[in-house]
Amino acid sequence: MRKVLLIVRREYVVRVRTKAFVIFTVLMPLLLGTVMVLPGKLMTQSSGERHIAIVSADSAMANAVKAELVASGVADGEVAPPDRKNKLPRTGFDVMVLTDPTEALRHQLTTQVRDGNLDGFAWLDADAVSTRKGIYYSRNASDYMEAFTVSRALRFALSERELAEHGFSATQAKKLLGPVDIDTVHIDNDGAKKSNGMGAFFLPFLLLFAIYITVLLYGLYVMRSVIEEKSSRVVEVLLGSVTPMQLMAGKIIGVGAVGLTQIGIWAAATTLLGTGSAAIIGDMMKDAHVSTTALLLFPVFFILGYATYSCLYAAIGAMVNSDDEAQQLQFPVTLPLVFCMAFATAIIRDPGTKLAFWLSMFPLTSPMIMFVRISVSMPPVWQIALSVGISLVSLYGLVWLTSRIYRVGILMYGKRPTLPEILKWLRYT
Amino acid sequence: MAFTLELDCVTKAYDEFVAVDHLSFKIPEGEIFGLLGPNGAGKTSSIRMMIGITVPDSGSVRVFGEPMSRRLIDRVGYLPEERGLYKKMKIMENLVFFAQLKGISVPEATKRSNYWLERLDLGRWGKSRVEELSKGMQQKVQFIAAVIHEPDFMILDEPFSGLDPASSLVIKDALLDLKKQGKTILFSTHRMDTVERLCDSICLVNQGRSVLLGVLREIKASYGRSSVQLEYDGELPLLRDPTLVASSNDFGNYVELRLAPGADPQRLLEEAMRTAKILRFEMVEPSLEEIFIDTVESTKAVIHA
Repeated sequence: MRKVLLIVRREYVVRVRTKAFVIFTVLMPLLLGTVMVLPGKLMTQSSGERHIAIVSADSAMANAVKAELVASGVADGEVAPPDRKNKLPRTGFDVMVLTDPTEALRHQLTTQVRDGNLDGFAWLDADAVSTRKGIYYSRNASDYMEAFTVSRALRFALSERELAEHGFSATQAKKLLGPVDIDTVHIDNDGAKKSNGMGAFFLPFLLLFAIYITVLLYGLYVMRSVIEEKSSRVVEVLLGSVTPMQLMAGKIIGVGAVGLTQIGIWAAATTLLGTGSAAIIGDMMKDAHVSTTALLLFPVFFILGYATYSCLYAAIGAMVNSDDEAQQLQFPVTLPLVFCMAFATAIIRDPGTKLAFWLSMFPLTSPMIMFVRISVSMPPVWQIALSVGISLVSLYGLVWLTSRIYRVGILMYGKRPTLPEILKWLRYT
Repeated sequence: MAFTLELDCVTKAYDEFVAVDHLSFKIPEGEIFGLLGPNGAGKTSSIRMMIGITVPDSGSVRVFGEPMSRRLIDRVGYLPEERGLYKKMKIMENLVFFAQLKGISVPEATKRSNYWLERLDLGRWGKSRVEELSKGMQQKVQFIAAVIHEPDFMILDEPFSGLDPASSLVIKDALLDLKKQGKTILFSTHRMDTVERLCDSICLVNQGRSVLLGVLREIKASYGRSSVQLEYDGELPLLRDPTLVASSNDFGNYVELRLAPGADPQRLLEEAMRTAKILRFEMVEPSLEEIFIDTVESTKAVIHA
């Protein structure tokens, strides 16, 4: 045991003091934050104020549309519920109303748009009111947010006018056209909690991603550490003092401890900077929650996943002579992990499917998928127990199998062994 | 007499290939023992069983009078033929780590590391990373790692390979010192000159079997003064005469040869003088190298016959 601890300590100290560890610990949350937040920001935040024109013979109509557009520049009443404090920043509109829809004007405006003097213009025909149809000309037709805003403004203006014709007052019309707000309430064993769909999706996904990346990364660290000891021939010196089993156990525990340290740092940083990180991730995480049970089970499933994969990676490391050779072998082992990520979206949306059930039982995917199921909605306790049970039993078998491969493999140099050869290794004493 | 190591009919096979075949020998306490043999003879396989990395298929290994178990491993020092240190770690860290694995405390390990580094002229390198050292220096560090826990029994696989003459000398003195302290040392090598000067007994293995075993002095004496060392200038066609010469090792102007059974050395000299100028003619005990080549050749013949 003392020797295992010495191996653990060496693995741990050597890894934690590398620059790679420090950089990854700091960079990973930044990277993840950027990946999640940036596209959203870019989507909702256009470049500055938009200069557009509205052309309609009906000046009252045109002015109503303008009023809606200007209002939408400051407040977005449709997408975000009104009780939101943080409004997503919106594009401001500088609107010009023109009331003589001639072909000459259309030609002139088109030229202005092409030259960049104008961002776009809305063309409302005489029958635009009856057909509820207009045309929006703009330089970048792909900016659907802008077209959407214009179309919505037109719809509001048209509806307001029709409501006024039916005798509704302006206030009544505003109320009728106002947004409807739906609060989602998540019910689990800890009781009912208010949540929002986006957060409920992203937080489990984020946690799954954390398991995935750490299991993969630290599994590969174990593999590389085995290869390094093998290729530098330290392994035989070590075997003069420790058994292969002690060496493998020490290595897996040591590297795993580095992984837990990293996760611990991330968790502590998130808690400490709670408000700060909420601001970074923005509205998406607001009201998002995962039950305390799930958070407490996170290390359990990380350890199960890591133990399973690190054994496999250790065996691969023992079979090969170099990183290059390992490349081909690690692919089939990495596949189930990637598989988990590929199915994550579907499983988070609907954690009750048969696929989700079986993936949460299969030992190579269960640590990840069962954790996702728990974090989305608590599955029956017997299923969790069964999943963990299967995991532990298969882990026991896996340790037996991989330690045998490891024991023989670390002393074999030269040609990469074939499968029949590896099967023979299992019988060596 | 107490024996540090006893191998009894040890056999180890990997699939069809028999790496070690009924190997038996004993090393008395305080001796330097040479385990010799050509490449692939089964030396490394035997050594791995001596330190319990692998277990024999049959036969027994006893160390310090007890059946080999990992419990005894801390009293054994092992220098594998394939050297290895953690390249990214400092020399001192490497040495302290390996010493700790053998149960030595950190302060004690540091003290002993300093002593050995100083003794092997590596005093100022303790804080350097392994990768900054030359190959020969790394060899010396490796040697320290094998002896730092003051083991009673040292297994050294090719301890002098890659060392310059000066470093070899320092290591040789260190070994003789350890012997004086009563430690037992097993050498595995195919460098005969070292063995000849250091070893008390030898075991020559070939194709997994022991082909020659005993006290070195006695082995050499048993061959008698049946060898001839000849320095010459010219040609020696007589080397191919089977009635005179059993085997020879010709270096061009110096030859070591074994007389054929019953051959007359006087006649050999006469024959030699006829074709070459003889600078030196001496009848000696055969060198270990001759015995080695001779034995390996003859066992090969037996095995292939």
